[in-house]
Amino acid sequence: MRRFLKLVAIEWKLTNREFITIFFTLIFPILMLLLFGTMYGNEASEFMGGYGSVDVSTPGYINMIIAVTGIMSLPLTLAQYRERKILKRFMATPTKPIEILLSQFIVNILLTILGLVLLIVVGKIVFDLHFFGNFFEAIFTFFIILLSIFSIGLLIAGVSKNAKMATAIAYIVYFPMLFLSGATMPLQMMPQSIVNISKALPMTYGVTLFKGIWLGDHLIDYPLEIIILFSITLVFGGLAVKFFKWE
Amino acid sequence: MNVIEVKNLIKKYKNFTAVDHISLEVEEGCIFGMLGPNGAGKTTTIECIIGLKNRDGGEVNVLGIDPNVDYKKLYNLIGVQLQETSYQDKIKVYEICELFTSMYENPVDYHILLDRFGLHDKAKSYLSQLSGGQRQKIAIILALISNPKLVFLDELTTGLDPKSRREMWDYIKELKNEGRTVFMTTHYMEEAAYLCDKICIINDGKIIALDTVDGVIDLADIDQVISFETEEDIVQLIEKEIKGINKIEKENKKLKIYSKREDLLTDLVIFLKEKSIKYRKIDINRPGLEDAFIKLTEKTRKVE
Repeated sequence: MRRFLKLVAIEWKLTNREFITIFFTLIFPILMLLLFGTMYGNEASEFMGGYGSVDVSTPGYINMIIAVTGIMSLPLTLAQYRERKILKRFMATPTKPIEILLSQFIVNILLTILGLVLLIVVGKIVFDLHFFGNFFEAIFTFFIILLSIFSIGLLIAGVSKNAKMATAIAYIVYFPMLFLSGATMPLQMMPQSIVNISKALPMTYGVTLFKGIWLGDHLIDYPLEIIILFSITLVFGGLAVKFFKWE
Repeated sequence: MNVIEVKNLIKKYKNFTAVDHISLEVEEGCIFGMLGPNGAGKTTTIECIIGLKNRDGGEVNVLGIDPNVDYKKLYNLIGVQLQETSYQDKIKVYEICELFTSMYENPVDYHILLDRFGLHDKAKSYLSQLSGGQRQKIAIILALISNPKLVFLDELTTGLDPKSRREMWDYIKELKNEGRTVFMTTHYMEEAAYLCDKICIINDGKIIALDTVDGVIDLADIDQVISFETEEDIVQLIEKEIKGINKIEKENKKLKIYSKREDLLTDLVIFLKEKSIKYRKIDINRPGLEDAFIKLTEKTRKVE
Protein backbone atom coordinates (compact mmCIF):
# COMPACT_ATOMS: atom_id res chain seq x y z
CA MET A 1 0.00 0.00 0.00
CA ARG A 2 2.81 2.39 0.94
CA ARG A 3 4.36 1.59 -2.42
CA PHE A 4 1.16 2.29 -4.29
CA LEU A 5 0.58 5.60 -2.50
CA LYS A 6 4.13 6.67 -3.37
CA LEU A 7 3.44 5.83 -6.99
CA VAL A 8 0.21 7.85 -6.97
CA ALA A 9 1.95 10.77 -5.24
CA ILE A 10 4.71 10.88 -7.84
CA GLU A 11 2.38 10.44 -10.80
CA TRP A 12 0.26 13.26 -9.33
CA LYS A 13 3.29 15.54 -9.19
CA LEU A 14 4.23 14.64 -12.77
CA THR A 15 0.72 15.29 -14.08
CA ASN A 16 0.75 18.67 -12.40
CA ARG A 17 3.85 19.55 -14.37
CA GLU A 18 2.03 18.98 -17.67
CA PHE A 19 1.00 22.49 -18.63
CA ILE A 20 -1.47 21.51 -21.35
CA THR A 21 -3.33 19.06 -19.14
CA ILE A 22 -3.50 21.52 -16.27
CA PHE A 23 -4.64 24.31 -18.57
CA PHE A 24 -7.46 22.31 -20.12
CA THR A 25 -8.70 20.73 -16.88
CA LEU A 26 -8.31 23.56 -14.41
CA ILE A 27 -8.17 26.84 -16.32
CA PHE A 28 -9.94 26.49 -19.67
CA PRO A 29 -13.33 25.43 -18.21
CA ILE A 30 -13.27 28.44 -15.88
CA LEU A 31 -12.44 30.72 -18.82
CA MET A 32 -15.43 29.29 -20.71
CA LEU A 33 -17.63 29.80 -17.69
CA LEU A 34 -16.46 33.38 -17.27
CA LEU A 35 -16.81 34.16 -20.99
CA PHE A 36 -20.33 32.79 -21.48
CA GLY A 37 -21.39 33.76 -17.98
CA THR A 38 -20.45 37.35 -18.65
CA MET A 39 -22.24 37.27 -22.02
CA TYR A 40 -25.49 35.73 -20.87
CA GLY A 41 -25.49 36.23 -17.09
CA ASN A 42 -27.10 33.77 -14.70
CA GLU A 43 -30.62 35.20 -14.56
CA ALA A 44 -33.41 32.69 -15.06
CA SER A 45 -34.47 32.92 -18.68
CA GLU A 46 -37.21 31.52 -20.87
CA PHE A 47 -34.71 30.25 -23.45
CA MET A 48 -32.88 28.22 -20.80
CA GLY A 49 -36.11 26.62 -19.61
CA GLY A 50 -36.47 28.87 -16.64
CA TYR A 51 -32.89 28.45 -15.36
CA GLY A 52 -29.86 30.70 -15.46
CA SER A 53 -27.39 30.18 -18.28
CA VAL A 54 -24.49 29.40 -15.91
CA ASP A 55 -26.60 26.88 -13.97
CA VAL A 56 -27.41 25.06 -17.20
CA SER A 57 -23.88 25.18 -18.64
CA THR A 58 -21.89 24.06 -15.58
CA PRO A 59 -22.74 20.33 -15.76
CA GLY A 60 -21.72 20.47 -19.44
CA TYR A 61 -18.38 21.98 -18.51
CA ILE A 62 -17.89 19.25 -15.93
CA ASN A 63 -18.35 16.72 -18.74
CA MET A 64 -15.74 18.64 -20.66
CA ILE A 65 -13.27 18.29 -17.77
CA ILE A 66 -13.91 14.54 -17.62
CA ALA A 67 -13.22 14.31 -21.35
CA VAL A 68 -9.90 16.14 -21.01
CA THR A 69 -8.59 13.88 -18.26
CA GLY A 70 -10.18 10.68 -19.59
CA ILE A 71 -9.59 11.02 -23.32
CA MET A 72 -6.51 13.23 -23.49
CA SER A 73 -4.45 12.97 -20.34
CA LEU A 74 -4.96 9.29 -19.44
CA PRO A 75 -4.36 7.64 -22.83
CA LEU A 76 -1.56 9.99 -23.85
CA THR A 77 0.36 9.34 -20.66
CA LEU A 78 -0.13 5.58 -20.84
CA ALA A 79 0.75 5.39 -24.54
CA GLN A 80 3.86 7.42 -23.87
CA TYR A 81 4.82 5.17 -20.95
CA ARG A 82 4.51 2.17 -23.17
CA GLU A 83 6.39 3.70 -26.09
CA ARG A 84 9.29 4.75 -23.89
CA LYS A 85 9.34 1.32 -22.25
CA ILE A 86 8.52 2.80 -18.87
CA LEU A 87 5.75 0.24 -18.39
CA LYS A 88 8.22 -2.49 -19.22
CA ARG A 89 10.77 -1.08 -16.79
CA PHE A 90 8.15 -1.18 -14.05
CA MET A 91 7.33 -4.75 -15.00
CA ALA A 92 10.89 -5.66 -14.06
CA THR A 93 10.26 -4.58 -10.46
CA PRO A 94 8.04 -6.10 -7.77
CA THR A 95 5.38 -3.56 -8.84
CA LYS A 96 2.60 -5.04 -10.91
CA PRO A 97 2.03 -3.13 -14.15
CA ILE A 98 -1.66 -2.86 -13.29
CA GLU A 99 -0.60 -0.59 -10.41
CA ILE A 100 0.79 1.95 -12.89
CA LEU A 101 -2.47 1.88 -14.78
CA LEU A 102 -4.47 2.23 -11.59
CA SER A 103 -2.30 5.09 -10.34
CA GLN A 104 -2.88 6.96 -13.61
CA PHE A 105 -6.59 6.34 -13.20
CA ILE A 106 -6.58 7.73 -9.69
CA VAL A 107 -4.42 10.73 -10.58
CA ASN A 108 -6.76 11.67 -13.42
CA ILE A 109 -9.84 11.21 -11.23
CA LEU A 110 -8.28 13.49 -8.60
CA LEU A 111 -7.46 16.04 -11.27
CA THR A 112 -11.03 15.89 -12.57
CA ILE A 113 -12.39 16.46 -9.07
CA LEU A 114 -10.02 19.37 -8.54
CA GLY A 115 -11.14 20.93 -11.83
CA LEU A 116 -14.80 20.43 -10.92
CA VAL A 117 -14.37 21.98 -7.46
CA LEU A 118 -12.52 25.01 -8.85
CA LEU A 119 -15.19 25.48 -11.51
CA ILE A 120 -18.00 25.31 -8.97
CA VAL A 121 -16.24 27.66 -6.55
CA VAL A 122 -15.66 30.25 -9.28
CA GLY A 123 -19.24 29.79 -10.55
CA LYS A 124 -20.58 30.27 -7.04
CA ILE A 125 -18.52 33.37 -6.29
CA VAL A 126 -18.87 35.12 -9.65
CA PHE A 127 -22.32 34.05 -10.87
CA ASP A 128 -24.05 32.71 -7.74
CA LEU A 129 -24.23 29.24 -9.31
CA HIS A 130 -27.20 27.12 -8.18
CA PHE A 131 -27.43 23.39 -7.76
CA PHE A 132 -31.02 22.11 -7.76
CA GLY A 133 -30.44 18.37 -7.59
CA ASN A 134 -29.74 15.67 -5.07
CA PHE A 135 -26.12 15.61 -3.97
CA PHE A 136 -25.72 11.83 -3.93
CA GLU A 137 -27.41 11.38 -7.28
CA ALA A 138 -25.00 13.97 -8.68
CA ILE A 139 -21.99 12.11 -7.25
CA PHE A 140 -23.28 8.85 -8.71
CA THR A 141 -23.84 10.54 -12.07
CA PHE A 142 -20.36 12.02 -12.03
CA PHE A 143 -18.80 8.62 -11.51
CA ILE A 144 -20.78 6.72 -14.14
CA ILE A 145 -19.89 9.40 -16.70
CA LEU A 146 -16.30 9.30 -15.55
CA LEU A 147 -16.09 5.52 -15.85
CA SER A 148 -17.58 5.49 -19.34
CA ILE A 149 -15.27 8.23 -20.63
CA PHE A 150 -12.19 6.75 -18.90
CA SER A 151 -12.91 3.32 -20.40
CA ILE A 152 -12.86 4.94 -23.85
CA GLY A 153 -9.54 6.55 -22.93
CA LEU A 154 -8.19 3.22 -21.74
CA LEU A 155 -9.08 1.58 -25.04
CA ILE A 156 -7.32 4.40 -26.93
CA ALA A 157 -4.25 3.86 -24.73
CA GLY A 158 -4.45 0.11 -25.17
CA VAL A 159 -4.62 -0.07 -28.94
CA SER A 160 -2.43 2.88 -29.96
CA LYS A 161 0.92 1.77 -31.32
CA ASN A 162 2.64 4.88 -30.00
CA ALA A 163 2.05 8.24 -28.38
CA LYS A 164 1.54 9.96 -31.74
CA MET A 165 -1.25 7.59 -32.69
CA ALA A 166 -2.85 7.97 -29.26
CA THR A 167 -2.76 11.75 -29.67
CA ALA A 168 -4.36 11.55 -33.10
CA ILE A 169 -7.17 9.26 -31.92
CA ALA A 170 -7.70 11.31 -28.77
CA TYR A 171 -8.14 14.50 -30.81
CA ILE A 172 -10.53 12.79 -33.21
CA VAL A 173 -12.64 11.56 -30.31
CA TYR A 174 -12.32 14.59 -28.07
CA PHE A 175 -13.13 17.55 -30.27
CA PRO A 176 -16.42 16.36 -31.76
CA MET A 177 -17.52 15.42 -28.26
CA LEU A 178 -16.50 18.81 -26.96
CA PHE A 179 -18.58 20.78 -29.47
CA LEU A 180 -21.33 18.40 -30.54
CA SER A 181 -22.42 16.76 -27.31
CA GLY A 182 -23.90 19.86 -25.72
CA ALA A 183 -20.99 20.10 -23.29
CA THR A 184 -19.98 23.57 -24.41
CA MET A 185 -22.87 24.69 -26.63
CA PRO A 186 -26.46 23.73 -25.89
CA LEU A 187 -27.86 21.24 -28.41
CA GLN A 188 -31.03 23.35 -28.60
CA MET A 189 -29.00 25.84 -30.62
CA MET A 190 -27.91 23.20 -33.12
CA PRO A 191 -29.53 22.20 -36.42
CA GLN A 192 -31.20 18.77 -36.56
CA SER A 193 -28.29 17.22 -38.48
CA ILE A 194 -25.89 18.01 -35.63
CA VAL A 195 -28.39 16.73 -33.09
CA ASN A 196 -28.46 13.44 -35.01
CA ILE A 197 -24.66 13.22 -34.94
CA SER A 198 -24.66 14.00 -31.26
CA LYS A 199 -26.69 10.87 -30.59
CA ALA A 200 -23.68 8.81 -31.68
CA LEU A 201 -21.40 10.51 -29.15
CA PRO A 202 -21.15 8.90 -25.73
CA MET A 203 -20.71 12.21 -23.96
CA THR A 204 -24.07 13.49 -25.19
CA TYR A 205 -25.71 11.07 -22.77
CA GLY A 206 -23.43 12.18 -19.97
CA VAL A 207 -24.26 15.82 -20.63
CA THR A 208 -28.02 15.18 -20.81
CA LEU A 209 -27.97 13.12 -17.63
CA PHE A 210 -25.80 15.48 -15.61
CA LYS A 211 -27.80 18.54 -16.72
CA GLY A 212 -31.00 16.82 -15.70
CA ILE A 213 -29.71 15.75 -12.29
CA TRP A 214 -28.13 19.18 -11.72
CA LEU A 215 -31.41 20.95 -12.43
CA GLY A 216 -33.40 18.74 -10.07
CA ASP A 217 -34.45 15.66 -12.04
CA HIS A 218 -33.81 12.20 -10.66
CA LEU A 219 -31.86 9.20 -11.91
CA ILE A 220 -35.11 7.33 -12.51
CA ASP A 221 -36.00 9.91 -15.20
CA TYR A 222 -32.97 8.89 -17.30
CA PRO A 223 -32.94 5.10 -17.74
CA LEU A 224 -31.75 5.32 -21.36
CA GLU A 225 -28.78 7.54 -20.55
CA ILE A 226 -27.75 5.43 -17.57
CA ILE A 227 -27.99 2.18 -19.54
CA ILE A 228 -25.96 3.65 -22.40
CA LEU A 229 -23.25 4.98 -20.10
CA PHE A 230 -22.98 1.64 -18.29
CA SER A 231 -22.88 -0.21 -21.61
CA ILE A 232 -20.08 2.04 -22.84
CA THR A 233 -18.10 1.29 -19.69
CA LEU A 234 -18.62 -2.44 -20.09
CA VAL A 235 -17.91 -2.63 -23.82
CA PHE A 236 -14.99 -0.20 -24.03
CA GLY A 237 -13.58 -1.28 -20.68
CA GLY A 238 -13.84 -4.93 -21.73
CA LEU A 239 -12.17 -4.26 -25.07
CA ALA A 240 -9.45 -2.27 -23.34
CA VAL A 241 -8.73 -5.12 -20.93
CA LYS A 242 -8.67 -7.60 -23.80
CA PHE A 243 -6.50 -5.58 -26.18
CA PHE A 244 -4.30 -3.60 -23.83
CA LYS A 245 -0.67 -3.98 -24.90
CA TRP A 246 1.95 -3.57 -22.22
CA GLU A 247 4.75 -3.20 -24.74
CA MET B 1 27.53 -22.09 -7.55
CA ASN B 2 25.42 -21.07 -10.53
CA VAL B 3 23.12 -18.09 -10.16
CA ILE B 4 21.57 -18.58 -13.60
CA GLU B 5 20.81 -21.91 -15.23
CA VAL B 6 19.15 -21.99 -18.62
CA LYS B 7 18.36 -25.23 -20.43
CA ASN B 8 17.07 -25.39 -23.99
CA LEU B 9 15.35 -22.03 -23.81
CA ILE B 10 12.99 -21.42 -26.74
CA LYS B 11 11.10 -18.26 -27.59
CA LYS B 12 9.02 -17.92 -30.73
CA TYR B 13 7.23 -14.98 -32.31
CA LYS B 14 4.65 -16.46 -34.64
CA ASN B 15 6.81 -18.36 -37.18
CA PHE B 16 10.06 -16.76 -36.16
CA THR B 17 12.23 -18.47 -33.54
CA ALA B 18 14.00 -15.67 -31.70
CA VAL B 19 15.68 -17.92 -29.16
CA ASP B 20 16.47 -21.43 -30.31
CA HIS B 21 17.47 -23.98 -27.65
CA ILE B 22 19.82 -21.78 -25.68
CA SER B 23 21.53 -23.38 -22.70
CA LEU B 24 23.93 -21.55 -20.42
CA GLU B 25 25.08 -21.29 -16.85
CA VAL B 26 26.35 -18.23 -15.04
CA GLU B 27 28.58 -18.69 -12.04
CA GLU B 28 28.19 -16.54 -8.96
CA GLY B 29 30.46 -13.50 -8.83
CA CYS B 30 31.45 -13.39 -12.47
CA ILE B 31 30.72 -10.99 -15.31
CA PHE B 32 28.96 -12.84 -18.07
CA GLY B 33 28.76 -11.14 -21.46
CA MET B 34 26.35 -11.93 -24.22
CA LEU B 35 27.38 -10.80 -27.68
CA GLY B 36 25.72 -11.08 -31.03
CA PRO B 37 24.73 -9.07 -34.09
CA ASN B 38 21.58 -6.94 -33.98
CA GLY B 39 18.51 -9.14 -33.94
CA ALA B 40 20.46 -12.19 -32.77
CA GLY B 41 18.15 -12.62 -29.79
CA LYS B 42 20.18 -11.10 -26.94
CA THR B 43 17.44 -8.94 -25.51
CA THR B 44 14.81 -11.64 -25.92
CA THR B 45 17.08 -14.06 -24.06
CA ILE B 46 17.53 -11.61 -21.17
CA GLU B 47 13.81 -10.91 -21.08
CA CYS B 48 13.04 -14.62 -20.90
CA ILE B 49 15.66 -15.11 -18.17
CA ILE B 50 14.15 -12.38 -15.99
CA GLY B 51 10.61 -13.39 -16.80
CA LEU B 52 9.54 -10.30 -18.73
CA LYS B 53 8.58 -12.64 -21.55
CA ASN B 54 7.04 -16.06 -21.24
CA ARG B 55 9.25 -18.68 -22.81
CA ASP B 56 7.88 -21.27 -25.21
CA GLY B 57 10.14 -24.06 -24.01
CA GLY B 58 13.04 -25.04 -21.82
CA GLU B 59 13.94 -24.37 -18.23
CA VAL B 60 15.12 -21.18 -16.57
CA ASN B 61 16.34 -20.94 -13.03
CA VAL B 62 17.57 -17.67 -11.58
CA LEU B 63 18.79 -17.68 -7.97
CA GLY B 64 16.77 -20.85 -7.51
CA ILE B 65 13.60 -19.21 -8.82
CA ASP B 66 11.66 -19.87 -12.01
CA PRO B 67 11.01 -16.30 -13.23
CA ASN B 68 7.70 -17.21 -14.82
CA VAL B 69 6.47 -18.58 -11.51
CA ASP B 70 7.65 -16.24 -8.77
CA TYR B 71 8.65 -13.02 -10.49
CA LYS B 72 7.85 -10.88 -7.48
CA LYS B 73 10.34 -12.69 -5.26
CA LEU B 74 12.91 -12.64 -8.06
CA TYR B 75 12.59 -8.90 -8.71
CA ASN B 76 13.43 -8.21 -5.08
CA LEU B 77 16.73 -10.04 -5.57
CA ILE B 78 17.90 -8.79 -8.97
CA GLY B 79 18.59 -5.41 -10.54
CA VAL B 80 17.75 -4.65 -14.13
CA GLN B 81 18.76 -2.07 -16.71
CA LEU B 82 16.74 -2.47 -19.88
CA GLN B 83 17.77 -1.37 -23.33
CA GLU B 84 16.53 2.03 -24.54
CA THR B 85 14.35 2.68 -21.54
CA SER B 86 13.66 6.29 -20.83
CA TYR B 87 11.74 7.55 -17.84
CA GLN B 88 8.79 9.83 -17.30
CA ASP B 89 8.98 13.33 -18.73
CA LYS B 90 9.60 15.90 -16.05
CA ILE B 91 10.51 13.49 -13.30
CA LYS B 92 13.35 14.57 -11.03
CA VAL B 93 16.27 12.36 -10.07
CA TYR B 94 15.31 12.07 -6.40
CA GLU B 95 11.70 11.34 -7.35
CA ILE B 96 12.51 8.36 -9.55
CA CYS B 97 14.92 7.14 -6.85
CA GLU B 98 12.23 7.44 -4.17
CA LEU B 99 9.75 5.67 -6.42
CA PHE B 100 12.07 2.72 -6.96
CA THR B 101 13.03 2.70 -3.27
CA SER B 102 9.36 2.30 -2.36
CA MET B 103 9.07 -0.77 -4.57
CA TYR B 104 11.60 -3.00 -2.85
CA GLU B 105 11.60 -4.91 0.40
CA ASN B 106 15.22 -4.19 1.36
CA PRO B 107 16.26 -1.07 -0.52
CA VAL B 108 19.62 0.60 -0.05
CA ASP B 109 19.82 4.33 0.60
CA TYR B 110 19.79 5.93 -2.84
CA HIS B 111 21.73 8.95 -1.56
CA ILE B 112 24.73 6.68 -1.10
CA LEU B 113 24.35 5.45 -4.67
CA LEU B 114 24.02 9.01 -6.03
CA ASP B 115 27.22 9.89 -4.15
CA ARG B 116 29.04 6.88 -5.48
CA PHE B 117 28.12 7.71 -9.07
CA GLY B 118 28.93 11.38 -8.60
CA LEU B 119 25.35 12.53 -9.05
CA HIS B 120 24.55 13.83 -5.56
CA ASP B 121 24.31 17.41 -6.82
CA LYS B 122 21.87 16.33 -9.53
CA ALA B 123 19.22 14.97 -7.14
CA LYS B 124 16.88 17.91 -7.76
CA SER B 125 17.50 18.01 -11.54
CA TYR B 126 15.04 16.79 -14.10
CA LEU B 127 16.10 13.46 -15.55
CA SER B 128 15.59 14.87 -19.04
CA GLN B 129 18.27 17.50 -18.41
CA LEU B 130 21.00 14.95 -17.68
CA SER B 131 23.56 13.87 -20.26
CA GLY B 132 23.39 10.42 -21.84
CA GLY B 133 26.14 9.15 -19.55
CA GLN B 134 24.43 10.53 -16.46
CA ARG B 135 21.12 8.95 -17.48
CA GLN B 136 22.83 5.56 -17.83
CA LYS B 137 24.29 6.03 -14.37
CA ILE B 138 20.76 6.60 -13.10
CA ALA B 139 19.75 3.38 -14.86
CA ILE B 140 22.46 1.53 -12.88
CA ILE B 141 21.49 3.28 -9.65
CA LEU B 142 17.88 2.18 -10.13
CA ALA B 143 19.10 -1.34 -10.81
CA LEU B 144 21.10 -1.25 -7.56
CA ILE B 145 18.41 0.12 -5.25
CA SER B 146 17.18 -3.41 -4.57
CA ASN B 147 20.74 -4.27 -3.41
CA PRO B 148 20.79 -7.15 -5.89
CA LYS B 149 23.06 -10.18 -5.97
CA LEU B 150 22.59 -10.33 -9.71
CA VAL B 151 22.51 -7.37 -12.09
CA PHE B 152 21.33 -7.43 -15.72
CA LEU B 153 22.72 -4.74 -18.00
CA ASP B 154 21.37 -4.71 -21.54
CA GLU B 155 23.58 -2.56 -23.75
CA LEU B 156 24.38 -0.18 -20.94
CA THR B 157 27.12 1.63 -22.85
CA THR B 158 25.55 1.86 -26.30
CA GLY B 159 25.63 5.45 -27.52
CA LEU B 160 27.99 6.73 -24.84
CA ASP B 161 31.15 8.65 -25.65
CA PRO B 162 34.42 6.74 -25.07
CA LYS B 163 35.18 8.49 -21.79
CA SER B 164 31.77 7.77 -20.27
CA ARG B 165 32.03 4.20 -21.51
CA ARG B 166 35.35 3.67 -19.72
CA GLU B 167 33.82 5.15 -16.60
CA MET B 168 31.00 2.61 -16.82
CA TRP B 169 33.55 -0.17 -17.09
CA ASP B 170 35.02 0.84 -13.75
CA TYR B 171 31.57 0.79 -12.19
CA ILE B 172 30.82 -2.64 -13.64
CA LYS B 173 34.14 -3.98 -12.28
CA GLU B 174 33.20 -2.51 -8.92
CA LEU B 175 29.94 -4.44 -8.96
CA LYS B 176 31.92 -7.61 -9.41
CA ASN B 177 34.34 -6.67 -6.63
CA GLU B 178 31.36 -6.26 -4.32
CA GLY B 179 30.51 -9.88 -5.00
CA ARG B 180 27.63 -9.26 -7.38
CA THR B 181 27.15 -11.24 -10.55
CA VAL B 182 26.69 -9.26 -13.76
CA PHE B 183 24.90 -10.49 -16.88
CA MET B 184 25.49 -7.99 -19.65
CA THR B 185 25.08 -7.57 -23.38
CA THR B 186 27.21 -5.27 -25.49
CA HIS B 187 28.21 -4.47 -29.04
CA TYR B 188 31.69 -3.34 -28.04
CA MET B 189 34.21 -6.16 -28.23
CA GLU B 190 36.93 -4.35 -26.29
CA GLU B 191 34.36 -3.86 -23.54
CA ALA B 192 33.52 -7.56 -23.42
CA ALA B 193 37.21 -8.50 -23.56
CA TYR B 194 38.05 -6.11 -20.74
CA LEU B 195 35.15 -6.95 -18.44
CA CYS B 196 33.82 -10.42 -19.03
CA ASP B 197 34.96 -13.61 -17.35
CA LYS B 198 32.83 -15.59 -19.70
CA ILE B 199 31.39 -14.81 -23.09
CA CYS B 200 28.50 -16.18 -25.02
CA ILE B 201 28.12 -15.30 -28.70
CA ILE B 202 24.71 -15.88 -30.19
CA ASN B 203 23.52 -15.61 -33.74
CA ASP B 204 20.03 -16.24 -35.10
CA GLY B 205 18.91 -17.30 -31.64
CA LYS B 206 21.58 -20.00 -31.26
CA ILE B 207 24.74 -20.09 -29.19
CA ILE B 208 27.79 -20.30 -31.42
CA ALA B 209 30.44 -19.83 -28.75
CA LEU B 210 30.42 -20.04 -24.98
CA ASP B 211 33.77 -19.73 -23.28
CA THR B 212 36.31 -17.35 -21.75
CA VAL B 213 37.54 -14.53 -23.99
CA ASP B 214 40.71 -16.49 -24.84
CA GLY B 215 38.69 -19.64 -25.36
CA VAL B 216 36.43 -17.90 -27.84
CA ILE B 217 39.43 -16.48 -29.71
CA ASP B 218 41.00 -19.95 -29.87
CA LEU B 219 37.75 -21.41 -31.07
CA ALA B 220 37.68 -18.99 -33.99
CA ASP B 221 41.07 -20.41 -35.01
CA ILE B 222 42.41 -17.27 -36.63
CA ASP B 223 46.00 -16.74 -37.87
CA GLN B 224 48.17 -14.17 -36.25
CA VAL B 225 49.67 -11.73 -38.68
CA ILE B 226 53.28 -10.54 -38.68
CA SER B 227 53.90 -7.64 -41.00
CA PHE B 228 56.99 -5.66 -41.91
CA GLU B 229 58.43 -3.62 -44.74
CA THR B 230 61.42 -4.61 -46.82
CA GLU B 231 62.92 -3.59 -50.17
CA GLU B 232 63.91 -7.10 -51.06
CA ASP B 233 61.89 -9.81 -52.75
CA ILE B 234 61.98 -12.60 -50.20
CA VAL B 235 58.50 -14.15 -50.32
CA GLN B 236 59.56 -17.46 -51.81
CA LEU B 237 62.63 -17.63 -49.60
CA ILE B 238 60.56 -17.23 -46.44
CA GLU B 239 58.04 -19.84 -47.59
CA LYS B 240 60.88 -22.29 -48.14
CA GLU B 241 62.86 -21.60 -44.96
CA ILE B 242 60.19 -21.11 -42.31
CA LYS B 243 57.66 -23.75 -41.38
CA GLY B 244 54.03 -23.29 -40.44
CA ILE B 245 53.14 -20.31 -42.62
CA ASN B 246 49.61 -20.38 -43.99
CA LYS B 247 49.77 -17.42 -46.30
CA ILE B 248 52.01 -14.52 -47.31
CA GLU B 249 50.61 -11.34 -48.79
CA LYS B 250 52.79 -8.76 -50.50
CA GLU B 251 51.67 -5.23 -51.12
CA ASN B 252 54.40 -2.94 -52.44
CA LYS B 253 57.10 -3.09 -49.80
CA LYS B 254 54.84 -4.57 -47.14
CA LEU B 255 54.78 -8.26 -46.30
CA LYS B 256 52.05 -9.89 -44.27
CA ILE B 257 52.70 -13.37 -42.93
CA TYR B 258 49.74 -15.43 -41.67
CA SER B 259 50.41 -18.26 -39.26
CA LYS B 260 49.17 -19.96 -36.10
CA ARG B 261 52.69 -20.52 -34.76
CA GLU B 262 53.28 -18.56 -31.57
CA ASP B 263 57.07 -18.70 -32.01
CA LEU B 264 57.09 -17.67 -35.65
CA LEU B 265 58.40 -14.22 -34.81
CA THR B 266 61.59 -15.64 -33.31
CA ASP B 267 62.29 -17.76 -36.38
CA LEU B 268 61.50 -14.88 -38.67
CA VAL B 269 63.80 -12.42 -36.94
CA ILE B 270 66.64 -14.95 -36.84
CA PHE B 271 66.08 -15.64 -40.53
CA LEU B 272 66.14 -11.95 -41.42
CA LYS B 273 69.32 -11.42 -39.41
CA GLU B 274 71.09 -14.44 -40.90
CA LYS B 275 70.29 -13.33 -44.44
CA SER B 276 71.12 -9.71 -43.58
CA ILE B 277 67.80 -8.52 -44.89
CA LYS B 278 66.88 -4.98 -43.94
CA TYR B 279 63.39 -4.60 -42.54
CA ARG B 280 61.40 -1.99 -40.67
CA LYS B 281 58.02 -1.39 -39.07
CA ILE B 282 57.72 -4.96 -37.89
CA ASP B 283 54.41 -5.56 -36.21
CA ILE B 284 52.61 -8.55 -34.79
CA ASN B 285 48.85 -8.65 -34.77
CA ARG B 286 47.34 -11.26 -32.52
CA PRO B 287 43.69 -12.07 -33.26
CA GLY B 288 41.30 -10.38 -30.85
CA LEU B 289 37.75 -10.93 -29.76
CA GLU B 290 36.47 -8.73 -32.57
CA ASP B 291 38.19 -10.89 -35.23
CA ALA B 292 36.80 -13.99 -33.55
CA PHE B 293 33.33 -12.49 -33.33
CA ILE B 294 33.26 -11.55 -37.01
CA LYS B 295 34.60 -14.90 -38.12
CA LEU B 296 32.23 -16.91 -35.93
CA THR B 297 29.11 -14.95 -36.79
CA GLU B 298 29.96 -15.00 -40.51
CA LYS B 299 30.57 -18.73 -40.50
CA THR B 300 27.12 -19.48 -39.19
CA ARG B 301 25.57 -17.14 -41.74
CA LYS B 302 27.27 -18.98 -44.61
CA VAL B 303 26.03 -22.35 -43.43
CA GLU B 304 22.44 -21.25 -43.99
